[in-house]
Amino acid sequence: MLENVIAAYSEAVFDTDRDKALEVIHEAVAQGVTPEDIVFKVVIPSMESMIKAISEDFDANLAQHFMASQIASQVTDEMVALFQKSPETIGRVVIGTSHGDMHTLGKRIVSGCLRSLMIDVIDLGVNVSAERFVDAALEHNADIIAISSMMVHTARSEYACLAVRQLLKERQLEDRIKIIVGGAPYTWDTELYKVVQADAWASDGISAGKVIKDLIVEMHK
Amino acid sequence: MITGMDRLVAAIKGEKADRIPVFCNLLDQGAKELGLMSLYDYYQRGEYVAEGQLKMREKYGYDNVWSLFYVGKEAELLGCKKILFSLDGPPNVEHFVIQSYDDIHNLEIPDDIIHHPVFAEELKCLQILKREVGGRYPICGYVTASMALPALLMGMDKWFELLFMGPPDVRDELLAKCSLFCQRHIAALRELGVDVIVYANPFGSTDFVPLPYIIKTGIPWMKQDLSAGTQGIVYYCGGARFNQVIEAIISQIGIETYYLSPLDDIAVGKQIVNGRGLTCGVINDIKLIDWSEQEIKQEVKRMLAAGMEGGKFLFGTILMPYKIPERNIRAMLDAAYEFGQF
Repeated sequence: MLENVIAAYSEAVFDTDRDKALEVIHEAVAQGVTPEDIVFKVVIPSMESMIKAISEDFDANLAQHFMASQIASQVTDEMVALFQKSPETIGRVVIGTSHGDMHTLGKRIVSGCLRSLMIDVIDLGVNVSAERFVDAALEHNADIIAISSMMVHTARSEYACLAVRQLLKERQLEDRIKIIVGGAPYTWDTELYKVVQADAWASDGISAGKVIKDLIVEMHK
Repeated sequence: MITGMDRLVAAIKGEKADRIPVFCNLLDQGAKELGLMSLYDYYQRGEYVAEGQLKMREKYGYDNVWSLFYVGKEAELLGCKKILFSLDGPPNVEHFVIQSYDDIHNLEIPDDIIHHPVFAEELKCLQILKREVGGRYPICGYVTASMALPALLMGMDKWFELLFMGPPDVRDELLAKCSLFCQRHIAALRELGVDVIVYANPFGSTDFVPLPYIIKTGIPWMKQDLSAGTQGIVYYCGGARFNQVIEAIISQIGIETYYLSPLDDIAVGKQIVNGRGLTCGVINDIKLIDWSEQEIKQEVKRMLAAGMEGGKFLFGTILMPYKIPERNIRAMLDAAYEFGQF
């Protein structure tokens, strides 16, 4: 039965049909599938197969990324509230747009994707200073600082990722907290993440889920 | 002496001037040319922007000038009260006019853009450009399509939420208002003598939405935006790819100029346009920051080899980042002038 649920849910997500996806999940719950199984055996595998499909399919578009993350995040929130006991998360991320940047879409897609992968997300909003990124990461005991930039100057700015790196160095936090970046400038220049001294980058919001999950797993080894 | 307008007209007709038209989109760099300390100061006065545009065109020898200040100007015309200025990059919209669905109901579209106080400096700029280079160098204007404009008014993620998950009646009310603004903005720019109107619509790209969505939902709104005609309109998706969309746009809307994505295959794009209009090969100008002069020369040569055969082709850039070194701007233009000769 779960296989059918996964197939129907995944198809609805790929077609950006939120109503259909929710209908599939609600029907499954009504037929006795536990909320835990919905998250761990339907939503997470579906998200992972979407990540794989996107990495192989150059033509997946932003609308699909957005809807996939929003649907998965909504289902996860709904199911987690019904769990027998609070779920263990695999790690924590603080996310925001870089200093001077007001663009929110990428951050929102990444956040939705991460939540559905059972990774805690602390959203710091837009135009976030380097100090705030680092302070928040410490305050929330985060593994990752995720910095989204939509414009070249906000990606390369000395007040953005470069400043976060500098603060991590000064406070000797580089082993404890990793930096991931994403956004349009990084897709136009795939070496840019090195210029801004990030540890990793992702080409889109959904793929960021895998990159961050892999980083966290590596750090916790 | 051959002018930029001569080159553009020749390209439109499929004829040969001395070389292909070269459109170079330098905006913020004008502040540096004028020795101004801040972009904020630069964009306060139409005279500054016009002078910056004229100086840069003269200095580098390319074929166009811009009346655009920054994209957020459209949001200011619709009530945006705060723009976030940077020292080295384009200004961002900081205050979103739409915070709730009530704000959509209350959104007012100005009847008269030309005499709107927020447009006063752009008007001044356009009048100077028209006086100084009108008829000799194409004056470019920028208009955001109805489907993309809400992103400037409420933020892209909120717009995605409304577009794909929100109440259809609210979504359509906003799109109708944005389309009305788009139509009036185009009419105003035409009345003021703008020759080329870059119609910016990332939602016309398959990087943003699926092709069936563009055909079913996007194109009807584009038709409404462009109901006064497609003369001088350039199809541009903010740098996102749209080769797969060209056929539908030509057959259903009739736009005649396609400003490709740097990620689109130029030869394929040109083949799809197939002599029915102009194709612009666009360089990945983010790479111009770090590329060597030799790498730039090779890239321009490759692009022109892919696009020049059969004419009806021009070379262009996206909005060039402030951090591109002047020597690299020159390297790009020198290569375009050299390999773009007929």
